[in-house]
Amino acid sequence: MFRNNYDSDALTFSPQGRIFQVEYAQEAVKQGSVVVGIVSKTHAVLAALKRNAEELSSYQKKVIEIDAHYGIALAGLASDARVLSNFMQQQSLSSRLTYDRPIALAEITHRLSIRAQKSTQQHGRRPYGVGLLIAGIDTTGPHLFEFQPSGVTQEMVACAMGARSQMARTYLERHVDEFEACGKDELIKHALRALKESLSQDKELTVDNTSVGISGEDEAFILLDGQSVVPWLNATFENREGGEESMEVDS
Amino acid sequence: MNHLPQAWGRPRDDVYGAYDASHFQMSGPTQHSSRPIVTGTSVVAVKFKDGVVIAADNLASYGSLARFTDVKRLRTFNSKSVLGFGGDVSDMQYLDRLLNSLSVRENYSTSIDDSGKSDLDAHNLHRYLSKVMYKRRSDFNPLWNHILVAGLGEKDAPFLASVDLLGTTFSSPTLATGFGAHLAQPILRRQVPDEAASKELSQEKAVELIRECMKVLFYRDARSMDKYSIAVISKSGVDLKEDEKLENQSWAFAEGIRGYGTQVN
Amino acid sequence: MTSIGTGYDLDNSVFSPDGRNFQVEYAVKAVENGGTSIGIRCKDGVVLATEKLVTSKLMKAGANKRIATVDRNIGMVSAGLLPDGRYLVSRARQETASWRQIYKSPMPVASLAGRLGSFVQMFTMNGGLRPFGITAIVGGWDSEGDMAVDGQVGAGPSVGAGGKASGKKYGGPFLYMIEPSGLYWGYYGAATGKGRQAAKSELEKLDLSAGALSLEQGVKEAARIIYVAHEDSKDKEFELEMTWVSGLSGPTKGQHQEVPKELREEAERLAKKALEGDDEMEE
Repeated sequence: MFRNNYDSDALTFSPQGRIFQVEYAQEAVKQGSVVVGIVSKTHAVLAALKRNAEELSSYQKKVIEIDAHYGIALAGLASDARVLSNFMQQQSLSSRLTYDRPIALAEITHRLSIRAQKSTQQHGRRPYGVGLLIAGIDTTGPHLFEFQPSGVTQEMVACAMGARSQMARTYLERHVDEFEACGKDELIKHALRALKESLSQDKELTVDNTSVGISGEDEAFILLDGQSVVPWLNATFENREGGEESMEVDS
Repeated sequence: MNHLPQAWGRPRDDVYGAYDASHFQMSGPTQHSSRPIVTGTSVVAVKFKDGVVIAADNLASYGSLARFTDVKRLRTFNSKSVLGFGGDVSDMQYLDRLLNSLSVRENYSTSIDDSGKSDLDAHNLHRYLSKVMYKRRSDFNPLWNHILVAGLGEKDAPFLASVDLLGTTFSSPTLATGFGAHLAQPILRRQVPDEAASKELSQEKAVELIRECMKVLFYRDARSMDKYSIAVISKSGVDLKEDEKLENQSWAFAEGIRGYGTQVN
Repeated sequence: MTSIGTGYDLDNSVFSPDGRNFQVEYAVKAVENGGTSIGIRCKDGVVLATEKLVTSKLMKAGANKRIATVDRNIGMVSAGLLPDGRYLVSRARQETASWRQIYKSPMPVASLAGRLGSFVQMFTMNGGLRPFGITAIVGGWDSEGDMAVDGQVGAGPSVGAGGKASGKKYGGPFLYMIEPSGLYWGYYGAATGKGRQAAKSELEKLDLSAGALSLEQGVKEAARIIYVAHEDSKDKEFELEMTWVSGLSGPTKGQHQEVPKELREEAERLAKKALEGDDEMEE
């Protein structure tokens, strides 16, 4: 049952200096459905593939608005993401109340990383089993940060995480030099195309399973879900088969 | 149940009641400010076309004794904003240390090649200070100061606002605390009656205006001194001069005051 | 010869029969896998440099700073598990803030190193915690003369603050390195991470204890040494990050700052040239 002797808690180093519990938490991220994030010189976009537990259940919310100027996309344990997003919302609100300024994305990411690291070094705690993409605009421009359960955070130009995200990442690497100059429309199209790369052969992006979040300078963070995402799907994938308005049932 | 060693042998709170924590206070009696002791007098400031000019004299009075004559009541924050403190000097020191630690913490999160765009500007600083002052007032333990915050706000526009021991805040193209509010404001307002006038004012005229106000304050404020500090904040930074002496004083008007010198009528 | 600590290496704070805490030794392995970091104490300041391996083409170049500022005059860089490094930096910041609150003066680098050493050691002696998977290099500059006290009003007595013996030298640049066991020493040149052996031998060649290396020279040497140490992971791309602290009369005026872009690029150019020169000599 155990892969090895050293993986029972986050407090144990393996002889090679690895902490297996943290690495297993990263696996939880890989089980979640794919999310993609890209920044240009003026905008930041998040795109996510939503899943439903059963045919008749609702789809798991993957993109969360944190403050007027940024939002997050999650992959992994959604309940852990809720705890972290609540924390981020509190911190962001506090910054607006105390200083009347939108919190800098590097700062909130840093606070997240400190919080997440604690749970990798204390008895009885486990690492957060969710990866986040934090995207938005602050006074220094658009930013995209990747957050991993280990507490490692990195600023990226584009990123993808979740099941089969390697395909999305390959698409992003191919186009990485184009992103900086992209306008809002192009950026969303790139994100949706990258997302599509990670879908299995028979799947499609539909009104039910796609979420997009976009923010730009002097534009608040907008969450596009349901009908509001349809025009973007149509614009990106020209030869879509019918069924934009009908309820697609994903199996 | 708390099984940790610090609770071994301890009677249960739900059976015997909680301990009275006031017996364990190590910090001495709780204190509330009732009056300022060593005080600074007025601070005056005016917005001009490209920034703000602010000035305060270098005196700290101990009641009616002119006790400390080299006290700098203009303090810079992040090399971009200037605060002028009137009122209690020890509370000024407390706030100076508090803001210094805030500045150190803020410095951690900005990256170096950032051109300072995400630094706290004067507007953010004023908002933060107003929260601090209001909180202390609500604890009935005020920081006994009247502060002017001068600097550049959003989009580098000149910013000038006031916050006092009650947590009251307001903003205006010309501001003064203490006696300055009565003696200097009319002079400032005659030159700069509104925002439009302040946008026309040049730096030289603004500095001259402030120097004039400092002179009048020295004539009439009994707790003032003729040495003062003056700062000009603009896009090129803070220019702080700390040992200016009042010039061109004319005390001839005193001859006309009854009871002055050897006059009896 | 390392013995396998079977049975004695699963829990922290447990001694093996030959008196070793294996979890701490495994933590050291995590450090050895990390990117190289070095610190150089020059005669008028400290330089810190680190090799940041680029794990993805999608990373934003020039962002993701690893060398952290503690208070205003101290810098800290670590090799090993990044989040542990961040946590130790946050503890260091708390220590300096609380020192400032009590003594109204910046914390001396030596005192900070001592506090961090004790803190890291605590994690090796507690069954409910695990050791830090990092080695941290702490470098900073302590003021040589009298500095204004925090919140100072007025200029103080004209004879100065006092409390200093005549003829003795106070302050200056300082460099310390703290290991996962909590052990720490003061250094003229310190190196940790994957390429530490190569870096150490280069540092020894510089004869730093003679106190002759200037800060500018130190920056160039630091870049060169990182490039040499990177040879071990030649196939991966990396970004060089460098920071420095000088005295009041130097370029940073006592503050810990990133090395300006032009100077860093010049140092990298010279470092690359030196490497090519070596290659030619080998052929």
